[in-house]
Amino acid sequence: MSLGMSFGTSSASSSAPAAPSRARPSGNAAVRIDNVMKRFGSVQAVKGISLEIPERSLCGFLGPNGAGKSTTIRMIMSIISPDSGSVEVLGSSALAMKDRIGYLPEERGLYRKMKVGEFVGYMAKLKGVHPTGLARRIDDWLERLALPGVSKRRCEELSKGQQQKIQLLASIIHAPDLLILDEPFSGLDPINGRLVTDLIRSEQARGATIIFSTHQMHTAEALCDKVVLINKGDKVLDATLAELRAKHDDRGLVCEPRTDARTFADAALARGIATAARANDGGSVDLDLAPGTDADAAMRAALEIAPMRSMALRRMNLDDVFVELVGKSDGEHKKGARIDA
Amino acid sequence: MPERPQQSYFGKIFLIAWREFRHTALTKGFIFGAVAMPILMFGVIGLMPALLSKEVPALVGTIVVVDPSGTIVPRAKAILEKPPTAMEAMEEFARNPPADTGSQINAASEMAGIGSQKIEVTWRGEKAPGAVDGIKSELKDGRILAGASIGAELLDPSKDAKAFELYIPSSLSPKHVKQITRALRQAVADERVARSGVDKELLSRLNNPPDPTTTRVSPKGTEAQENTELRFIVPGAFMFLLWICVFTSANYLLTTTIEEKSNKVMEVLLAAASPMQLLAGKILGYSMVSAVMLVMYGGLGLAGLSAVAMMDLVPPMHLVYLVIFFIMAYFMVSSMMAAVGSAVSDLREAQSLVGPVMMLLIVPLMLWMPIIQNPNGPLATIAGFVPPAIPFVMILRLTAATEPIPLWQTALSIVWGFACAFGMLWLAARIFRVGVLMQGKPPTPRELIKWAFVK
Repeated sequence: MSLGMSFGTSSASSSAPAAPSRARPSGNAAVRIDNVMKRFGSVQAVKGISLEIPERSLCGFLGPNGAGKSTTIRMIMSIISPDSGSVEVLGSSALAMKDRIGYLPEERGLYRKMKVGEFVGYMAKLKGVHPTGLARRIDDWLERLALPGVSKRRCEELSKGQQQKIQLLASIIHAPDLLILDEPFSGLDPINGRLVTDLIRSEQARGATIIFSTHQMHTAEALCDKVVLINKGDKVLDATLAELRAKHDDRGLVCEPRTDARTFADAALARGIATAARANDGGSVDLDLAPGTDADAAMRAALEIAPMRSMALRRMNLDDVFVELVGKSDGEHKKGARIDA
Repeated sequence: MPERPQQSYFGKIFLIAWREFRHTALTKGFIFGAVAMPILMFGVIGLMPALLSKEVPALVGTIVVVDPSGTIVPRAKAILEKPPTAMEAMEEFARNPPADTGSQINAASEMAGIGSQKIEVTWRGEKAPGAVDGIKSELKDGRILAGASIGAELLDPSKDAKAFELYIPSSLSPKHVKQITRALRQAVADERVARSGVDKELLSRLNNPPDPTTTRVSPKGTEAQENTELRFIVPGAFMFLLWICVFTSANYLLTTTIEEKSNKVMEVLLAAASPMQLLAGKILGYSMVSAVMLVMYGGLGLAGLSAVAMMDLVPPMHLVYLVIFFIMAYFMVSSMMAAVGSAVSDLREAQSLVGPVMMLLIVPLMLWMPIIQNPNGPLATIAGFVPPAIPFVMILRLTAATEPIPLWQTALSIVWGFACAFGMLWLAARIFRVGVLMQGKPPTPRELIKWAFVK
């Protein structure tokens, strides 16, 4: 067991009953973390991350396994406290704001012997939901989650995917202002994945700020306003999707010439339209444009080489951004390691 | 966003406590295990003799006695047909208790079966000593139940003859053999007494050594009636009651905490309540479970005592002490269990840490006898101040004392005991707050202490 950890849950919680204020988040940031660091034994899990998550935004935490996403989330939740740096949640601390936060931890857990309705009700009451009408509310939600009539069943009788949806329900039943979901899509089939996607969208529409971590780039791309990419405890990207698109969307063309693809690719390179050209098996050609190139001019120049079946500006692909940034940051880590040595 | 009411600090604690109580005490498992089982067990023990007594087989047939005097047959007939009274049977049982449980149950069932047995025996007396051969052949053919030969010497008070002949078929049950033997023995004894001219009643009175009524007089001059058996049983009952109620619920606390960790439900809970609220809720919840058991078992015991009009064995002050030391014991034991439960990831890992805790808790059980025998002795006095034995030892001392425990010792043990209990609770809370978030290999006891002092 790793020691040398300090836990922040005690100081505020062991003192007098917390009387959380309903202070609005300062400067419209639902979460603001400043230079937080966390070390577990010899592993520096988080190396000085700072970020702000605006109110009512939908923010994706991306990053490879073991990057420090869950540690960062647990520090936001005040389940563990950072070694240094500060965390502000809804203008206060997560400890004081517990009842206004919904949290789905990475490791799922339910009381196996408890009935579904009872479990969700218990969590709701712990978060301050009044018992009047609660059962009805739970039933409505279960229906919405395509789990009608499971209220009286024991948690252990449900499938893994169903249990996950119940846990998600337990984290949103109290209509939180901030919803933190650690890997909400893992282990869900496409139908349930879509159901959860819709649910996240509706929670945002209700006015909640949502942070979720995921490995699924297409989900993040489809859902997020903002993405934060964490790799090896460092933040390597923090941008809105709009910013990313502006930066990456016009960086390439996808052409489908009516002539031989390879000949077209060579010609495009020779005329200096692209810095790299790849002929694909299906007869299309990917052209990478040099930074600062006018995309419209490049399209006109491409049309002069050969007639086209189709031609389009290549859309940004978060997968590529992810691979590129993680690759770059890994390279820097290796370089740094060599220098240190 | 609309204003939403929030759950208060103590509201969360009560919610957690109620959930723990509900899902422990109001379950079929608990009701069956902790409530129905003991009641069922007492019930079965109570009913056993009655159930067995129905199986006492009827005694039907002819008994032939070679009885030259002609006096034994009518005497034996009367004795057999008038079974011993329950009191006589109990006295017999107390004088000669059977060694093994089987025989005890048998004897008890015989006592319970007394009077309900069907006895239809024809007695036939034979004067000629040579009739024994006829008896044997009749036995062989199964025509008679048993045969006996009572020699004339046996009835002569001046002779020291000790045995008579009894003939029985191989199929006769031991119980029937015993009944016939008893009737014949008693008949011979009565005849001998009659022939010696001594009054039977007088003989019985003369032969009965008296029992003492013991009064203990202490050096301070206080006097107390002595009741040796109950002096051992009542304090033991108090301590075991305390021990079982506290240990059972603390064990529930241990297993549910481990379950929450291994089920990974802990992190969900910690997003809704702080570790301190969780611990407080759990301890409160299981204190209710423990109290239910105490009231139930204690109530059963008191009901039993009042049924036999022996309530004076439990003065009201003892019940007050029971409540005080129950609270102390509960906090001590549940603190230790909560600390252990939070530190490990599954039940198997818990064994290594529960071991030392159990060792500590078994000490008062081992000291039961020495403390009862000398409640004011140095061992009892010292053990009464050593946590976590304090509540168990003190309840033994206070209920066993044949002379009062010095008031200062009682008062000091209560104050010191509660100080220790809260110290243990504080330590447990420190360990709990770190432990609930830990996964991986279980900590050593040294690491546990280290956690308690982590910032």
